[in-house]
Amino acid sequence: MSLSVTKAVEALVRSAAEAAFPEECCGFLLGPTPEDFEVLGRPVVVEAVRPLPNGWESGERTRRYQIDPKLLAKVEEELSGSGRSIVGFYHSHPGVPAWPSPFDLLRAWPCYSYWIVSVMEGKTAGSRSWMRSEDGESFIEEAVEVA
Amino acid sequence: MSVQVKLPSALRPFADRQEQVALDGKTAGEVLDALFARHGGLKKQLLTDDGKMRNFVNIYVNDDDIRDLKGLNTPVKDGDAVLIVPAIAGGSATAEAALTKEELQRYHRHLILPEVGPEGQKKLKSAKVLCIGAGGLGSPLALYLTAAGVGRLGLVDFDSVDASNLQRQILHDTPSVGTSKLVSAKKRLNALNPNVDVQLHEQRLTSANAIDLFRQYDVIADGTDNFATRYLVNDACVLTGKPNAYGSIFKFEGQLSVFGAKDGPCYRCLYPEPPPPGLVPSCAEGGVLGVLPGVIGTMQALETLKLILGIGKPLIGRLMLFDALAMEWRTLKLKKNPACAVCGPGATIKAPIDYEAFCGLKTPPQAMPEISVEELRDKLARKDRFVLLDVREPHEYELASIPGSTLIPLGAVAERSGELDITKEIVVHCKMGGRSAKAVDILLKKGFKAVNVAGGIHAWSERIDPGVAQY
Repeated sequence: MSLSVTKAVEALVRSAAEAAFPEECCGFLLGPTPEDFEVLGRPVVVEAVRPLPNGWESGERTRRYQIDPKLLAKVEEELSGSGRSIVGFYHSHPGVPAWPSPFDLLRAWPCYSYWIVSVMEGKTAGSRSWMRSEDGESFIEEAVEVA
Repeated sequence: MSVQVKLPSALRPFADRQEQVALDGKTAGEVLDALFARHGGLKKQLLTDDGKMRNFVNIYVNDDDIRDLKGLNTPVKDGDAVLIVPAIAGGSATAEAALTKEELQRYHRHLILPEVGPEGQKKLKSAKVLCIGAGGLGSPLALYLTAAGVGRLGLVDFDSVDASNLQRQILHDTPSVGTSKLVSAKKRLNALNPNVDVQLHEQRLTSANAIDLFRQYDVIADGTDNFATRYLVNDACVLTGKPNAYGSIFKFEGQLSVFGAKDGPCYRCLYPEPPPPGLVPSCAEGGVLGVLPGVIGTMQALETLKLILGIGKPLIGRLMLFDALAMEWRTLKLKKNPACAVCGPGATIKAPIDYEAFCGLKTPPQAMPEISVEELRDKLARKDRFVLLDVREPHEYELASIPGSTLIPLGAVAERSGELDITKEIVVHCKMGGRSAKAVDILLKKGFKAVNVAGGIHAWSERIDPGVAQY
């Protein structure tokens, strides 16, 4: 099970996370719609990312992110019928490790990959990717492969 | 009546991998019921056990969120699209700061106040406060905020504990003299309340680091002792939108306000420019009564708690002045200055500036003529022809002086320079060398041949004559 990303994608996400520090950044992961998307361990290939504004209220962006649903609907519409889709989301954790928080779990959807980048003192400090378990009770880690 | 229901990629596995499903219904709710009837797996993903739509699901009819229309009763017609759109959110913090059993006991007196209660205590636990300075004002601020249970307390300081701090800086103790102020503070604060995350920023607050630092906190409590840092704190608070629980003290008087709050005035609205350098002495030069920082610092802590809890009437748009000798408080109303350079509509300051230059603290480009205390000793021994001018205040002169010196306090040097013999070299000293440098500058401009004594009488006492008292 893995999240495959290109070097360019990884570099983009790292720079977005560092630029947003101490606030959280967020964005879409785009790629071919996986077969068996709902099955734990399915491979996900990220071909591109789309950085997005953090839509959470301004005072809390150091520990929260939110994606404007209108942007999500727009991108889904753009990709409709192309065999590609939003396969997950990235966001950063400023000052804390890349473990999903209880709040991440509370708001987690099935299928998607949740790629979290830790940023310590303005520099990225590792990343991990997660998928929600079927029962919604936990996150299962998937390897991040940069090629 | 056929309506297309469009599914995001994450829901397609629960609807036979279709991107969209054509269904009938007169309202959005009816269409969704039809969808769940056909694809049972979707229901579990989108509805809670008691049949309500989960909070991370948005339903759109064409371009509009049904929350802005008639909810599930929003009518739909042939050709409309119903979109199921994930509300994606998350973040590093826990959903809500829960209180442990130990915290429930510790904060009992807060919890029984209806204005605070468990909700308020959780707000405190989620709050991050940055104290600028761990000295006179920073001590009561940090102690009370830690005791009250703020989640994270940041301290900015780069000094070490000096014996002369202990008369008022109750965060530090005698064994800590000579060690880092922040290390000393953390030890004390951790012992007081181990639940508080004490973050140490052992650095000088500068125009380069202030913005990034302030962004990590909710409230800034300014306990600085100089104008350059005070303007920096003010501007960085305005630029980052953080309220500043401000306090300052001098001799027997204190000031208190909340600056930089939304729609409230800032320090620059009150004082667009700093006083000329040297006019207002610092506490190190002018002195401060021991308990005074306790009075002002605890009130800054109080204002900080009110800002976090959102209770009462914070000191926004009001400046409180405290006179300890008269034991009187006065409250002045402050207005936002429409011409303010940092918070006014035509603000020119968009990023922190050079505050040393703004406060006139940059030393002039030409080197200050200077001699060491050893050279002064030799000059005196040789009975060179010169005037030794002391520019400290009379009460300082009484505490300690160098024999043979003439006293003219800095504030009177320009006016009384006529008393000095212009044919002689003027050797100027003060306590540490700061005020005397200003006096040398004044005298040079008036045509005197003046030199500064580096390190002042303090260095004299340390290196030449230990019989001269240090104060």
